[in-house]
Amino acid sequence: MTPGRSVENALLAGPLVLFLLAVLGFPTVLSLVYGFSETGFQTLTAPEFSGLKNFRDVTADPTFWQAAWFSLRFGAITALLQCGLGLALAVYLAPLARAHGWTVAILIIPMIVAPAMMGLMYRLVLHEFAGPVPHYLYSWFGWSPSFLGPANVFKTVVVAETLQWTPFAFLLFLTAYQSIPQDLREAAAVDGTRPWRLFWKIELPLMMPTVFVALFIRFIDGFRVFDNIYTLVGAGPGGSTTSISIYIYETFLRRGEIGKALAAAILLFATAFVLLSVAQRLLRGRAP
Amino acid sequence: MAQLRIENLTKRFSGQIVTRDVSLVVDDGAFCVFVGPSGCGKSTLLRLIAGLESADSGRIFVDGRDVTDAPAYDRDLAMVFQTYALYPHMSVRDNIAFALRTAKRPEPEVAAKVAEAARILQLEPYLDRKPATLSGGQRQRVAIGRAIVKAPKLFLFDEPLSNLDADLRVHMRLEIARLHKDLGATIVYVTHDQVEAMTLATKIVVLRDGRIEQMGSPLQLYDDPDTLFVAGFIGSPKMNFLTARLQGGYLSLSECDGQKIRCPEPGLALADGAGVTVGLRPQVLGRTGDQSLEGMIEIVEHFGSDSLVHARPAGSTRLLTALVDNGRELASGHRFEARFRTEDLLFFDQAGQRIR
Repeated sequence: MTPGRSVENALLAGPLVLFLLAVLGFPTVLSLVYGFSETGFQTLTAPEFSGLKNFRDVTADPTFWQAAWFSLRFGAITALLQCGLGLALAVYLAPLARAHGWTVAILIIPMIVAPAMMGLMYRLVLHEFAGPVPHYLYSWFGWSPSFLGPANVFKTVVVAETLQWTPFAFLLFLTAYQSIPQDLREAAAVDGTRPWRLFWKIELPLMMPTVFVALFIRFIDGFRVFDNIYTLVGAGPGGSTTSISIYIYETFLRRGEIGKALAAAILLFATAFVLLSVAQRLLRGRAP
Repeated sequence: MAQLRIENLTKRFSGQIVTRDVSLVVDDGAFCVFVGPSGCGKSTLLRLIAGLESADSGRIFVDGRDVTDAPAYDRDLAMVFQTYALYPHMSVRDNIAFALRTAKRPEPEVAAKVAEAARILQLEPYLDRKPATLSGGQRQRVAIGRAIVKAPKLFLFDEPLSNLDADLRVHMRLEIARLHKDLGATIVYVTHDQVEAMTLATKIVVLRDGRIEQMGSPLQLYDDPDTLFVAGFIGSPKMNFLTARLQGGYLSLSECDGQKIRCPEPGLALADGAGVTVGLRPQVLGRTGDQSLEGMIEIVEHFGSDSLVHARPAGSTRLLTALVDNGRELASGHRFEARFRTEDLLFFDQAGQRIR
């Protein structure tokens, strides 16, 4: 690149860089400052540098590790469920979607409901005393699981998240499935390939890049879950549904330990960043 | 290898008939070419045979077995697609082996057959490469390799050469002809290129608007076309057509200032004054013959051994094309006398049917 060009590039990219610095950079710097300081609501304007103390506090807090473990499990399980279901739906419904495009719009409705509203809705529907689902289960079968009780709450939030976000995976897979050239399927059919083998040997391998992307996006989204769980059960019975995001929120606002909360946030960010870089490298390695 | 028999096959796409009551037989070991202009239904006919489209009525028999309602994977055919349709995530080796592995053949047999196909098609250096890294001709050979390892009852080729450049097309045409000779396979081949049809086929089926216009051996169609359409479609350069009117024993060429040509004995079975189209192949126009047409040369294309003369008879809107030997002395602006023999004339009535 010639020097003239790099000046030009700097000029063109400048406004964007300034904008990003203002929007993202300032909060980031502030978070870093607070994360390394002894901070409470009283000392917001005069944070006192305390080195790694906040990080020591966070990593020594069993609730943090419990929350991290919850987020990891929640993210992995929901991502796998959503992608599995989404893939099955995409392949099964592709002929329908091809013939009647509007059906796809119906299938993705759950995605456009705000997750917090979703949580509130399930809270109403599954409420042990007032909710219609336990009520009818009692009146028809004389028995109902305690959906929001400690034994089942994890399954409940996993199902709620899966129901809401499977359409996202479905949509990605449908697009990938429909973009496979039709003549490959025809060639395979003439080669004697039955539908099941066609899927495993031709269609799925060609969709693998999309499967990786979908798994990754859904995992990240599940890992930092907050709103639907928080509105459904809060931190959960005995903190059993405390995700990392909920942990940070509670530490910050409920307990006022701002420095500790931000230290946890920085750890979360660093973890996500590392995961993202690794995944990106893996994807690039696979691309033809 | 097997015989293919089609009986009264009809196919409609949203009400429109694309294949109209087609019946034909392709003998064991024959090389049958479906040829016709785009939209004539030749590809649809091939896809019906392959099982990629379902017939509305009629039957298809392969080796005596009725496969009309069998799914494509159960017909034991092989097809080479215009787009090659290679599996992009598999190596050349896996592409060629795919059908055999689908049929659960033992791996040593698969390896042996892949090696044999790679040798025949000179693909050995590329076996471990992905299709994306190959040239058009190489991909074409992989597609053919994928078909031949199966040793199917029937090979189907859907315009396999139309994505290749001219040199490669001639080369691959020879390869396919050699393959047919070596394998003794029954082949059904679709093309819009009549040169491919003439050079490869043992039997040509000319299709037009979903119907069979005429079928027969290449030279039969060339020498003895049933219709104006077949006469114009088969043969290169294209046949000359002149509009004429029957007057006594003569044909008066209305477009050529009333130049006359003599009817062959014993004359045409038509009423005096009837309209006739006269067909004359460029190859029969030359320096010898008992009759002639005159015109001014507009363009001469010299090929060295022979020359293609485009001459305009006085008053004509059409050019007369003649393929003459040598012809180095010919140049545009010269007067040209195209001589021909009376027996080389072909006649067609107003409906385009041949008058014999």
